[in-house]
Amino acid sequence: MIEELLISAMRLSVPLIFAALGGLMSERSGVANIALEALLLFSAFAAGAATALTGNLYLGALAGLVCAGVIGLAYGAICLWGRGDQIVVGTGFNLLAAGLIPVITKSLFDRTGSTPALSADQTFHEPIVFFGIAVAAFIVLEFVFRKTRHGLRITAAGENPLTLRTQGVSDRKVRLRAVVEGSVVAGFGGVYLALCQGSGYIRDMSAGRGFIALAALIFGAWRPWSTFLACLFFALTDAIQIQLQGKAIGGIQVPNQFVQIFPYVATLVVLMVASRNISAPKAINRDIA
Amino acid sequence: MNQANWKREFLFSAGAFVLGLALALAIAAGLGESPLHVLNVMVTGALGSPTQIGYSLFYATPLMLTGLSVAWAGRAGLFNIGAEGQMTIGGVAMAAVGLLAPTLPSVFAIPLALVCGFLAGGLWGAFAGWMKAKRGCHEVLATILLNFIAYGLAAFLIIGLLKSPDSQVPETAVIGEGFWIAQMHWIGGTSPLNWALLLAFLCIAAYAFIFARTRLGFHQRLAGGAPLAGQLGGVKMDRQIIIAMFYAGGLAALAAAGPVLGFAHKAREGFAGGAGFVGIAVALLGRNRPLGILFSALLFGILTKGSLDLDIDTEFVSRDLAVVIQALIVIAVASQPGWIKLFARVGRREKGSST
Repeated sequence: MIEELLISAMRLSVPLIFAALGGLMSERSGVANIALEALLLFSAFAAGAATALTGNLYLGALAGLVCAGVIGLAYGAICLWGRGDQIVVGTGFNLLAAGLIPVITKSLFDRTGSTPALSADQTFHEPIVFFGIAVAAFIVLEFVFRKTRHGLRITAAGENPLTLRTQGVSDRKVRLRAVVEGSVVAGFGGVYLALCQGSGYIRDMSAGRGFIALAALIFGAWRPWSTFLACLFFALTDAIQIQLQGKAIGGIQVPNQFVQIFPYVATLVVLMVASRNISAPKAINRDIA
Repeated sequence: MNQANWKREFLFSAGAFVLGLALALAIAAGLGESPLHVLNVMVTGALGSPTQIGYSLFYATPLMLTGLSVAWAGRAGLFNIGAEGQMTIGGVAMAAVGLLAPTLPSVFAIPLALVCGFLAGGLWGAFAGWMKAKRGCHEVLATILLNFIAYGLAAFLIIGLLKSPDSQVPETAVIGEGFWIAQMHWIGGTSPLNWALLLAFLCIAAYAFIFARTRLGFHQRLAGGAPLAGQLGGVKMDRQIIIAMFYAGGLAALAAAGPVLGFAHKAREGFAGGAGFVGIAVALLGRNRPLGILFSALLFGILTKGSLDLDIDTEFVSRDLAVVIQALIVIAVASQPGWIKLFARVGRREKGSST
């Protein structure tokens, strides 16, 4: 029972970790990223669609990552050169994912919002490999932020872009690069959703995980290792929720829709307790701190 | 607000709308559908007959209220993405009252349902405000999480407690007849257009009055525009944030009146149908101004109704194209500071070359 729960939590943590680490790169550079949900959806869709069209799993995975990068590029460019509120732009991107994907599935596959189901040899069967990549990603990020010039520049762009400008470094370019790199990281989460956890893309398959990842990022104080732990925690609440489904509690049958809100309630409670003492990057959602 | 500024804002909004629509039509063209055909299907579908116009107005009614909800929060410096959940909670509360006191006459029933809905949605919103003011949690994250919780709670109430015993569909039993808001067949033909439209107009008027003339409106604007000045002047900003989210939630809840009390006479699962999110586009395009909200809600009502026929009448696009248009408009309006700057630079260059 406990072992089952932990394995299930590990599987569920994968998309959260990738999305949260992707968001971390973007937010540490000063670009608020509420579009993580859209990144997961777009990359999952591209991966599912490309696999269905080409029949090649690896091409599909590549398409998911490339799509995430392209969406990230568009998001970053509009946020940085549009000079508007990044949260509003991000909401626009989330709406875009909700609208554009079903329109494309209709014209490509004549279906409302899903790609055709993939056969067993067209999906990955080793979630542990993805989990391994996720662990590696957080270790790499921890290293990047601690030891590399790129990591320092990202932090500088997020805390005080003027320090970069005085060195003749374009803070916008640093930010854009961080957003695109982060989006590709988040894209792994989408690829996992469509090609490993599921078989193909189904409508709204990320089911709010992008937002939970954002909460994990805040709970983890914008640091890779604590964000990673926060993702594991939220995945555990999700695993518990799945275990509780269909079970009667105290003789009363609780509808599944009600059990499903457990992770969101847990997320909210955590934010209620924790977010007071955590400070965001200072220049987030701004040109200059 | 002076004349020139008003004109400028109108032009920018119109520009954003045209840009969003044009990009969406370009996407349709890219998928193999003729843009003119799409436009034609949408315009005839939305405005072709009195019944179709009635449907467009019926869809516009909740959008006016969710638009007001987002706008109210916006005036107080907050971004309310929670209108969808607040509307859901409000509608379930209205249906619950209508099921608990089914024999009440209309004079009491309708105001009672509206007040209960407003309070339920308002408290739902105020909780997000409290999270922001007292716990430092960004309101966007709080309202999104509360949306998911609202869907689950509503499903629990609709399927669990209030479920109609003789229906297979997830919906409540029919509410008492006293709670039904009358339909306006003299304008809307056989469409379910109802007097909730008047409620929406009244709320727009109240919103205009509150922000132009009252202390409440002034304090709310302080919270949005100059919180430090307000704080120094002795207005508690924490409290203003909670109040703002209370009214925003209440207005979003009233959006449920049209679909629940005026049309279905019961709460169905998912009855909000995205109106809360379209409200974001309505408020942005309408620049949080009363008349702006009125017109952009009408525009999005037309868009919603018009897009329904795309599923059947086109080969390669679906009704979701309306969501694409909304999304592009949101992005276009949000990134306007950038393209204004760009235009200004181009304008300067042209002036410079001519002299």
